[in-house]
Amino acid sequence: MMFPTLDPLLHSELRLAVVSLLIGMEEAEFPYIKEQTGATAGNLSVQIEKLSEAGYIEVEKTFKGKRPCTVCRITPDGRKAFENYVKALKSYLKVKSVSSAADTK
Amino acid sequence: MEEHENKEMTAQESLSLISETLNNSRKEITRRSGKYFLFWGALLVFFSLLTYLLWETTDNPAWNFLWFAMPAIGMPLEKFSRRKNPSERVQNDVSRINGGIWATFGIFACVMSLLSFILVEFADGLIGLFRSIAAVVGLTPAIILLFGMAESISGVVLKNWTVRIAGLVTGIGGWFLYYITGAEAEQLIIFAFAGLVLVVTGLIVKYQYR
Repeated sequence: MMFPTLDPLLHSELRLAVVSLLIGMEEAEFPYIKEQTGATAGNLSVQIEKLSEAGYIEVEKTFKGKRPCTVCRITPDGRKAFENYVKALKSYLKVKSVSSAADTK
Repeated sequence: MEEHENKEMTAQESLSLISETLNNSRKEITRRSGKYFLFWGALLVFFSLLTYLLWETTDNPAWNFLWFAMPAIGMPLEKFSRRKNPSERVQNDVSRINGGIWATFGIFACVMSLLSFILVEFADGLIGLFRSIAAVVGLTPAIILLFGMAESISGVVLKNWTVRIAGLVTGIGGWFLYYITGAEAEQLIIFAFAGLVLVVTGLIVKYQYR
């Protein structure tokens, strides 16, 4: 049986956490994502940059008064990639549970 | 939350991470709702007691216009709080639906109040039928039922039983309370009761998701 390949960009803990966070909301600011993922600012910036370059998220840099404000949003491509990733995960798990059931027989 | 590293995960770990993130997001929204219940409940208690005292001491029901000061004060304060805290600016489907429920309640309550004022003050004789309908239904019990309904629906959306039950207590309890307190200034005690239930609900929800 052929397995769908897991998107390497999403198959990384921090990037997957960022996309999972953004999937259920319109947009989120950088400090909120940092708070929710518990990541360091430097690491998070790098991973957000990678997701943005792949077109999975949209990053808007604005100002709130005099303070810079980075807002992230999921793009339609990002949403599609996430859906495919979850589908692929499910098929892996389904096969795994079938094979472990066969092993026990 | 522990820091997420950039390591690769097993399929099971990935699914667990997705499910944990989505659950945390829902909890965050529910916890935030608890804060707003607390805030608006306290404001409701304050305005109902203030309006009650002024109406009772001056014997003038025109003090009911003070109700319009409640959103005028509450909404900018809520906006200010959102601006200060990045987690409160985040919107998802649950928070949007919840906001919509309370906004709809607010619109209905305002329109009903204004309509009954217009009907009672200016349309006597012209639309007497509507006036008698308003008198039979009663503005206060109608608003309190709507209030309780909005609260219970909020509980359904937030998947929180405390909020659902609080809505029932407010709506049905407030409606019964109306027939005990009477129709004059005392009826405003019902709104103080609704505010108190909202404050208690907010405290419980905050405690549940701290």
